[in-house]
Amino acid sequence: MNLRFIGAFTWYYGINSISRGPSYVLSAMLYPLVFLFLITIFSAGKLIDFAVLGGFLSIIATNAIYGSADAAFQRIQLKIQDLFVATSLTPFDYTFGLTFSYLATALPGLLIYGIIGALLGIFSALPLLAFVGIMLLLLVAAMSIAVIITGLIKHVRNLWGVISIVSVVLTMVPPSFYPYVILPKWALYLLMISPVTPAAMLSQGLFGLEKMPLYALPVLLFETAAYFAIAMRMSGWREK
Amino acid sequence: MRTIIEIKDLKKRYGDGTVALKGVNLNLTKRLTTVIGRNGAGKTTMMRILSTQLMPSSGKAVVDGLDVVRDAWMLRKKLVSIPQEASPMGFLTPMEHLKTYLIARGSTMGQAAKDAENALRTLELWDARNTPADELSGGMKRKIFVAMALAANAEVVFLDEPTTGLDPLSRLEVWSAVKMLKGTVVLTTHYMEEAQELSEEIAMVDHGECIGFGTVQSLLKKFRGMVRAETGADGAKGRYTIGNTKIRYVKLRDAEHYVDEGYTIKPITLEDLFVIRGVELES
Ligand SMILES: Nc1ncnc2c1ncn2[C@@H]1O[C@H](COP(=O)(O)OP(=O)(O)OP(=O)(O)O)[C@@H](O)[C@H]1O
Ligand SMILES: [Mg+2]
Repeated sequence: MNLRFIGAFTWYYGINSISRGPSYVLSAMLYPLVFLFLITIFSAGKLIDFAVLGGFLSIIATNAIYGSADAAFQRIQLKIQDLFVATSLTPFDYTFGLTFSYLATALPGLLIYGIIGALLGIFSALPLLAFVGIMLLLLVAAMSIAVIITGLIKHVRNLWGVISIVSVVLTMVPPSFYPYVILPKWALYLLMISPVTPAAMLSQGLFGLEKMPLYALPVLLFETAAYFAIAMRMSGWREK
Repeated sequence: MRTIIEIKDLKKRYGDGTVALKGVNLNLTKRLTTVIGRNGAGKTTMMRILSTQLMPSSGKAVVDGLDVVRDAWMLRKKLVSIPQEASPMGFLTPMEHLKTYLIARGSTMGQAAKDAENALRTLELWDARNTPADELSGGMKRKIFVAMALAANAEVVFLDEPTTGLDPLSRLEVWSAVKMLKGTVVLTTHYMEEAQELSEEIAMVDHGECIGFGTVQSLLKKFRGMVRAETGADGAKGRYTIGNTKIRYVKLRDAEHYVDEGYTIKPITLEDLFVIRGVELES
């Protein structure tokens, strides 16, 4: 892993770009904040804790997906991916660089969520550490899925359509913003295809919102490893 | 003489069935070789295979002793490859582009900054170093990539049409940058004077095959003592017709006669190899 590259790229592509185009900072915050607002209103405040956790998870997952969308854009439109293929960079250094760039712009959003969560008294120290671990796993899993999907895209015209579908299916449908227990078992199992589902279940268990579904942990671990392995094979890094 | 790039029966068939290379054989020994050929001839395909960006379908290619398939990881430490038509990332500056690329190749931050500065100065991009690429002209964007190649100081450098779209002075800047590259250079171009100016040897690619290889003099041997006479006049006769232009190759001493008939006389260049080749293929 070329950590120096990931760091430099995140700095240039993510942090420096905030001053050149701050809209992303707002848009990264907007989506989950709107959800937080709506869920709080509709549930008369009962589900606000869920919405805060969901906000974290969806920011992580959507930014991983946006990062890979940029990778597809750079491959198809800018034709610049080849430049990096012919270096000692791996596809994952490159995708991590892109993903962290987006996460950098999403940091203010995460911070706001952190503050809201702290004010609501959701977070306690130990579960918080475990929660960070879950988010890291989710990051890798979501990034891998995005790499797989964007690798299949041949024309930029299709890119944003596909990305929107993927990010909704991956982050909004799973029980990220609502209690996982209200889902019938079959629906829960079906939604396990998105790593957000086990991640959300574990988070809700961790902070005592629902009972702890420990079996979701091996599911999340397995999904992350599996998606990562498939992505490595299908990244389309060196064209066949 | 040491063979730096060895290509044996290299074939490429893309996923959609297009056969881009039909079995290329080449041994490159010189410091600077140019690959020329018409649109779609297979130049980019060949460059991408040699620089480990694209897998060959069959055959073998060895660059600086390393196989492009088996030893790709080692080879990548030694090479730089600038893709045709690559565009910079719009909101990054030239300086950020160079540093990103150098760090991707394994440089430290400090070394990257130093090498980037030298290259940007050489290509007269220094004043624009902190301007986002979106705000640069097309030629300046192109020069960012040439600067990357220069800064990387690699042992083997592949440049796919490095000067397309550049003004004449910028092209001279790129040429001198190319001459400063310390490694072995393979570049493609559609500018025949560029091939003649820069390279020691030239490979001609056509329809996925290498149809000629050697120095300019050796490639143009068959035109010795001749000039090109061309005209666009209706009714004029030419051995070769391209669009509306009729072309003939005539002895230098007969040139005056053709001038009287309204032909324009031009010196022979590498382009003429394609003129006769195109017609040979059609007939
Ligand atoms: N990714 C691809 N998939 C399918 N066919 C391709 C692909 N890339 C190139 N080709 C085809 O392969 C052939 C050779 O293309 P290539 O890009 O190597 O030509 P070139 O000599 O570089 O041309 P130019 O001077 O226009 O850049 C062409 O017929 C082209 O249509
Ligand atoms: Mg080309």
